[in-house]
Amino acid sequence: MAEIKDSDLNQTAREGTDVQRDDSALHIANISKSFRNVVALDDVSLNVNEGEVVGLVGENGAGKSTLLKILTGVQEPDQGELFTHGEKQTFTGPLKAAKEGISLVHQEQDIVSNLSGAENLFLGREGDLTPYGYVNKERMIDEAQQHLESLGINIDLSLRAGDLSFNERQLLEIARAFMIAKEGATETPIIMLDEPTAGLEEESRDLLFSLINDLRDRASFIFVSHELDEVIEISDRIYVLKDGQLVNEVSASETTQEVLRTSMVGRSLSDDYYLTSKQLSNTELGEEVLAVDELLYRDEVGPFSLSLREGEILGVVGVDGSGKERLGRMLYGDITPTSGSVTVLGQEVFPDSPSTMKTTGMGYIPKDRKNEGLLLYQPVRTNTSIAIVDKMMGKLPLLDIGLEKRETKEAVEKLDIKTPSIETLVRKLSGGNQQKVVLGRWFANESSILVMDNVTRGVDVGAKEDVYELCREFTRQGISMIFIADELQEVIGMANRIAVMYKGEIVDIVDAPPEDKPTEKELIELMV
Amino acid sequence: MSIQDTNTITRWIQEQQEKRTFQDWVIDIGPFVTLLGLMILFSLTSDRFLSFQNLLGNVAVNISVLLLVALAGTFPIMQQSIDLSVAALVTFVGMTIAVLISNFGVGGPQAILIGIILGTLVGVFNGVLFTKGKIPSFLVTLGTLSILEGGAGFVTGGSSVVFREPGLRELVIGQFIPGVPNIVLLTLLIYGFTIFLALRTKFGRYTYALGENESVVDLSGVNVDRYKIGVFAISGLLCAIAGAMLVARIGSGSPGMGQGLLLPSIAAVVMGGTALTGGVGGPHRTILGVLVIGILRNGMNLTGVDPFFQEMVLGGVVIIAVALSIDRRKIDIVK
Repeated sequence: MAEIKDSDLNQTAREGTDVQRDDSALHIANISKSFRNVVALDDVSLNVNEGEVVGLVGENGAGKSTLLKILTGVQEPDQGELFTHGEKQTFTGPLKAAKEGISLVHQEQDIVSNLSGAENLFLGREGDLTPYGYVNKERMIDEAQQHLESLGINIDLSLRAGDLSFNERQLLEIARAFMIAKEGATETPIIMLDEPTAGLEEESRDLLFSLINDLRDRASFIFVSHELDEVIEISDRIYVLKDGQLVNEVSASETTQEVLRTSMVGRSLSDDYYLTSKQLSNTELGEEVLAVDELLYRDEVGPFSLSLREGEILGVVGVDGSGKERLGRMLYGDITPTSGSVTVLGQEVFPDSPSTMKTTGMGYIPKDRKNEGLLLYQPVRTNTSIAIVDKMMGKLPLLDIGLEKRETKEAVEKLDIKTPSIETLVRKLSGGNQQKVVLGRWFANESSILVMDNVTRGVDVGAKEDVYELCREFTRQGISMIFIADELQEVIGMANRIAVMYKGEIVDIVDAPPEDKPTEKELIELMV
Repeated sequence: MSIQDTNTITRWIQEQQEKRTFQDWVIDIGPFVTLLGLMILFSLTSDRFLSFQNLLGNVAVNISVLLLVALAGTFPIMQQSIDLSVAALVTFVGMTIAVLISNFGVGGPQAILIGIILGTLVGVFNGVLFTKGKIPSFLVTLGTLSILEGGAGFVTGGSSVVFREPGLRELVIGQFIPGVPNIVLLTLLIYGFTIFLALRTKFGRYTYALGENESVVDLSGVNVDRYKIGVFAISGLLCAIAGAMLVARIGSGSPGMGQGLLLPSIAAVVMGGTALTGGVGGPHRTILGVLVIGILRNGMNLTGVDPFFQEMVLGGVVIIAVALSIDRRKIDIVK
């Protein structure tokens, strides 16, 4: 593994400052930023050339978001300078940055859901579309639709943004960034994409990549993502941030995910990333614990049938709108199925509500951790115990707080949750540790079947490994999992069998034993 | 655990300690400081203020009903709903008891029991409409407010109902513990009960969690609706008790008896530290807001401040208190 010396790195960083390259679209020199005592960025210098796609990777908290906020003028740096096309800039706000041709696709969707898609595209820049304050809606939709067509995106812009799918909203936001970039005063805009592919399906991802490639001669890009394969695929050069410092700069064609991961985490990761060696073999799996028969939700999802054995991980894959998220919600009763039946441990239950399913020993880990998984402003303790409050009753109808603390401490220890104390607010933990708290909740409840939707979403590379390890350990304890995920590699690596969904139905269930894993290509062929 | 991890954790702890901002400080001890300030001010300006008779005989008795109503309002606000029907429910229950005794010859205790059951049912009604009908609690209870207030006046044609039931009055203003009026004692007992309910029971735990994020509670396999309805039932119950106490104390029911309780009760809840955004605070804090309002009123009365001007001061205090204490972490934009 390549050793990275601090002195070398500083050298690289410094070089950028001295040489004012003519062809640099964006140049950042020695930027530092602290929040109270916490250093978010420490003397960071980087360079984006005209027409270049620059990847930016780093764990959560490495300083990527702060850097992007400084570039869009949302935050001011404590030190350092910023140049676009060789000119010194001080960005005092997003509008000023936009004028210089800098736009950002946010990590969290920044769409007003009760406005139409077209209105969202023009939000804040209605310009001559609103003569005398009156919005010329038809012309707006017309122009917006034209813009989308030029990008090859197909969305009905007259619909309310809230009625669009997650995928479509993400595309809408990407389109807006491209639009702002085009409108900028400069000929060659800079488009920053912060985790643009998170939650985006294969097809849309390919579209995004081809858009980026098409626009290379007219724009420069900064591409921020946790998905290292994507970063390598699309970028020319990649910068690695760690703890606010630039620790590595590599050429994308000469690097591997392994090198990037090592720089990001500061240590090398094991080869067996998904711990496939610990996967239970068919003979090690137990009895059938879950049988689903012809479960149907209106004419949208299903009817599908599946079964799950003790200790088994059943992967579920499919493109956007294939119904894989809703499959999970139906199994857990969050979406009440129209018909069909579910048998858990030999007992037939109808999944009419999460509370029904919890009593059968099922637990659910939602995709959207912040909005559905955690009580962000509450401590680790109550977040862990929320599913077991029923079991914390003493003789009086009072909660046994001592028991709660013991249960929480046990979960924290068992899952190696890194938190200053069990009273720390959950929002202060990193993504990986937050997800472990959600897992800990079901661990404390002694759930035997976990339905997990993108369990590693927004989790650092290093922490992902911990989650995989936990999953393996859980299966050894006889816990079974429905493992729904967007990342195909992950599902292939983790699952015993993989259910492929297409238009609401399970079209195939592929075996994935350790010695004979299906390839991504094989799955994709089934998915489309 | 590696050195790296330890460093990160140390950083978190520092960050956490630092994040105790001026506002946290205001929320935590602001009400105490205000209370102390008011007490010093009034004891300097009025020689009657700082007497046993005034504080226990006037202030405590006068704020008892307000405290109960504010406690009733606290639970819905903790779960990020709101119950606007609290004051109207006091009127409704008070009138019901008065009418039962004077027009139907029902005995005092029985009348009170019926009133309390009715009040609780109104709470359940609010809760069911709100959860099962998926109507915002704000609108449901605004409707109930109007129905109850109108109803209370309609039954009696708008006039007051006076009744004679000396036992009832004695029950409220008598002194089981010498020096402490029973109404104060009873209110304090109920106050203690609500604290336990909020902090030590399953019900309380879910109420806080619902105020923070309902989806999380739902997906944790909790029958959410049951607890949301329960919150309104508790609110109804506490208001009904407040109505019973009030009617027993004044010995008559009038269509306007609960008027003027709504704004101060919500103000007290928020001043105490239960943010309208839910999930924080609790009944144990609400008493602080009630004390501030009670002492402010009493002090202004004693120093002869014009009643209309008193209203203005109260309004100003409410706005300042809310501005200082509202939990802005969860709301970027206020509408």
